[in-house]
Amino acid sequence: METLLNVAIFLPLAGAILVALVRNELFTKIASILIGGVVAVITLVLFLAFDFNKPNFQFETYIPWIKTLGIGYHVGVDGMAVSLILMTALLFLAAYIWSWKIEDRPILYFSLFLALETACIGVFSALDIFLFYLFWEAMLIPMYFIIGFWGHERKVYAANKFFLYTFFGSLFLLLGIASILVYGYFETGKISFDYFFHLNLDYPLWLELIAFLLFGIGFAVKIPMWPFHTWLPDAHVEAPTAGSVILAGVLLKMGTYGFVRFSLPFFPEASKYYIPLIFTLSVIAVIYAAMMAIAQTHIKRLIAYSSISHMGLVTLGTFAMNHDALNGAIYLMIAHGLSSAALFLGAGFIYDRIHSYHMDDLGGLAKYIPYFTFAFFTAVLVGIAFPGFASFVSEFLILLGTFKNYPVWAFIAGIGMVLGAAYSLYMFKRVMLEEDAIPEERKQRWQKLRDMELHHALPFALIIVLALIMGVYPYPFVKIVEHTSKLVFGG
Amino acid sequence: MNWIAILPEAVLALGILTIFILELFLEKKHYKFLNILAFVFVILAGYSTLFVEYPSKLFFEGFSVDALNLIGKLFILAITGLVILASYDYFTKKDSKFGELPYLYLIASLGLMVMLSSENLAIIFTGLELASITMYILVGLFRKDYPSKEGAFKYLVIGTTGTSMYALGSALVYASTGTLVLSSIKEENSLFALGVLLIISALALKVSAVPFHFWTPDAYEGAPTPTTAFLSTVPKIAMYFLLVKLTIGLISSFPDWKYLVMTIAIFSMFYGNIVAYAQRSVKRLLAYSSIAHAGYFLTALTSVDKHLFSALLFYVFVYSLATLGAFTILSILEKRDGWTHHFLEFKGLAKGSPILASMLTLFLFALIGIPPAALLLGKLGIFFGLVKSEMLVLGILFAIASLISAGYYLKVIVYMFLYTGESKFGKVEVSAGEAFVIFVSSVLVIVFGLYPDLILESLLRALS
Repeated sequence: METLLNVAIFLPLAGAILVALVRNELFTKIASILIGGVVAVITLVLFLAFDFNKPNFQFETYIPWIKTLGIGYHVGVDGMAVSLILMTALLFLAAYIWSWKIEDRPILYFSLFLALETACIGVFSALDIFLFYLFWEAMLIPMYFIIGFWGHERKVYAANKFFLYTFFGSLFLLLGIASILVYGYFETGKISFDYFFHLNLDYPLWLELIAFLLFGIGFAVKIPMWPFHTWLPDAHVEAPTAGSVILAGVLLKMGTYGFVRFSLPFFPEASKYYIPLIFTLSVIAVIYAAMMAIAQTHIKRLIAYSSISHMGLVTLGTFAMNHDALNGAIYLMIAHGLSSAALFLGAGFIYDRIHSYHMDDLGGLAKYIPYFTFAFFTAVLVGIAFPGFASFVSEFLILLGTFKNYPVWAFIAGIGMVLGAAYSLYMFKRVMLEEDAIPEERKQRWQKLRDMELHHALPFALIIVLALIMGVYPYPFVKIVEHTSKLVFGG
Repeated sequence: MNWIAILPEAVLALGILTIFILELFLEKKHYKFLNILAFVFVILAGYSTLFVEYPSKLFFEGFSVDALNLIGKLFILAITGLVILASYDYFTKKDSKFGELPYLYLIASLGLMVMLSSENLAIIFTGLELASITMYILVGLFRKDYPSKEGAFKYLVIGTTGTSMYALGSALVYASTGTLVLSSIKEENSLFALGVLLIISALALKVSAVPFHFWTPDAYEGAPTPTTAFLSTVPKIAMYFLLVKLTIGLISSFPDWKYLVMTIAIFSMFYGNIVAYAQRSVKRLLAYSSIAHAGYFLTALTSVDKHLFSALLFYVFVYSLATLGAFTILSILEKRDGWTHHFLEFKGLAKGSPILASMLTLFLFALIGIPPAALLLGKLGIFFGLVKSEMLVLGILFAIASLISAGYYLKVIVYMFLYTGESKFGKVEVSAGEAFVIFVSSVLVIVFGLYPDLILESLLRALS
């Protein structure tokens, strides 16, 4: 099992090198999908083999690495990590299948995605802070090029903004890491990057307050929390479809993952201290981003704002300081990974066929591409937390947990969910329905549209089936995320 | 006397003489052979370090060999060898084939190696001068090119000022203590303090730290690019090995030396990083980045601590590899007519020559300090070393300065990758030597990033 986790981390990277060396387009595509499939199966096996009754990290590997700086190769997973890794592998598989028809420099494209997959799975399984930082930064570079190469008109601007914002954030993260390491050195006389070494240290309150902020800025940029969110709409609008899927589905989760993995257990006192700040920012994100989403006419921009809004709910649940809310927050990380990925796939399909993201250029599509309409509507339902889908369970848990401790905040955040339904359905209406409102010439163009092909349908199916399972039979998933909340809060 | 101790220097000197004589007889079209010969002698000199027994002393204790300066010599030889390989094709294409070139590089390295292996201020001076004068010539090697001559002249004037400050400093130290041998120098009077101050200034000038940095951008920009690669790497390695020795043996007996070095370091980091943003030429930008790096390196010389020193020397070496790689790529680009290293010329480079652009990206990312490049570990090592020596504030300033620097390196990458522009220059030609240099330096930067203990442990052992 330990070996399987390491294979899941490094197989994509090996694949990236392989396809770059072979330099054959068809081989690249088949190999990427195969590797994506193998990694997905491995992560599924890990997920099923994970024993959520044991209160510790599992599938651990530890190899000493850089002794002079106390760095080791240490990976392992808890419930949150193993389920996020499963989601990551699934979304990457979906992205590979979706990109079957890509024509512009496919070899580079797939090898960047494969390298990105290694970095993403690595982030979720690293138990050494240096290793975590290494994967965290390594992920930036492929994503930067994915946006910069295969993006739309303003790709340069968007890629730079993405890179500078997140790089800026991760430098704060590095300062934060340095600060706790320095303290650890003064306290115990040795420098160690190991996660458990720091878990067992008791930081004084002043250090917790400072380090929490430094870590927090690093994570908040990635999530993104208001007011660090401005890179996200640009990056999403300009990114290619598969890039958006990974960006929204996986990369955003790293910030909230960091909060749960590092901030809460390392700085429990500071976490309590900053609750008002985090809650204010979260609720602003939930409401403000939802309002912004309503005002958009660009589909991808709308979905990007809806991501910010949902991630606000995640941070709210993370810091509500009880099991239910944290379970909900982790659950929503996965659920939102699936829902936003499905929505971006939908937007990508529309762009493939009609070459526009603007609602004004669309409308009345439902009759002409029925299979897609079905898939897209399901994606919208997953997004608005419709009962029976994963996000319903998660948002319900978050509000339930938050209500126990902070009823007012829970109430305000609840409004955000209503707004969420409003903008998602509004978008669906403007894009797919309202056939009467569009000109005749456009209807004739719609006549010629082709419906989904296999490489469009499969990713949708993968994502929606998992969202459905998680919504209808949440028991094993809740148990597994509870593993993490028990680790964090005890009990 | 243990003559084996000077074997590397002897081999190198033999190589210099051989090439010097051969150059007189060979026709111009055979100059490539001289470059290869120089490389072979560098390899031989590197190989001969294996036979050296250390610690040993020669020439009335004027010349000494220990583990640390042997490592330093190996570093110097490694980078010199790579520079020699990278330089030939550039000078051929520029129509400035000089038979002197390979042995000038060797003489400079020989000077630096002599400088490293002495505990005597006077002999250090000899080595330093040998290297410096050679480097003035190397910078001005484009005889018909105005900027090259201007750079060389500036370098000559300012560099000579530096060496004279050094000479005066050592004279004052001698006047107050009666000895030039490092380990036995300790005195507390104003004459001695002035002497040490002058020596610090002179060495700060050689490593291009603020406020003695003025020659750097011009000399770097004016020099033929492979020579710039040499200037920004080999002398730096030697200078920091020397500075470590001087810090232990001389500078730390200067009152408040910490604050002096600290001030120089802080000003260099911030000045270099901020002014780099204003540059329009990538070559000049790298010159300012080298000033900033001088600041980073000097932070590590603020206290006598072997962890700090080993991190510093590791960092200097991997920095040299990354800089060498970056300058080699610039020299490949410059082989085409009309290339001036202006930012706009880098537009769309990734489209025309993707591999070259990605390698330059790798080196620039390494210079920013993005893992897994070894430079991040150098930075971390210095940072934690500073923390251990209770210099937390300096550590934080170091971190902030590194943070500032990210932007201008990124600018180059942005121009290469994210803008499109048609190239009015011909096709890029990469010679075998250049390809080898880029390959070796990129692989080493990554390998030392993943296994820094390969170097760090031997450095630590040598320092303790």
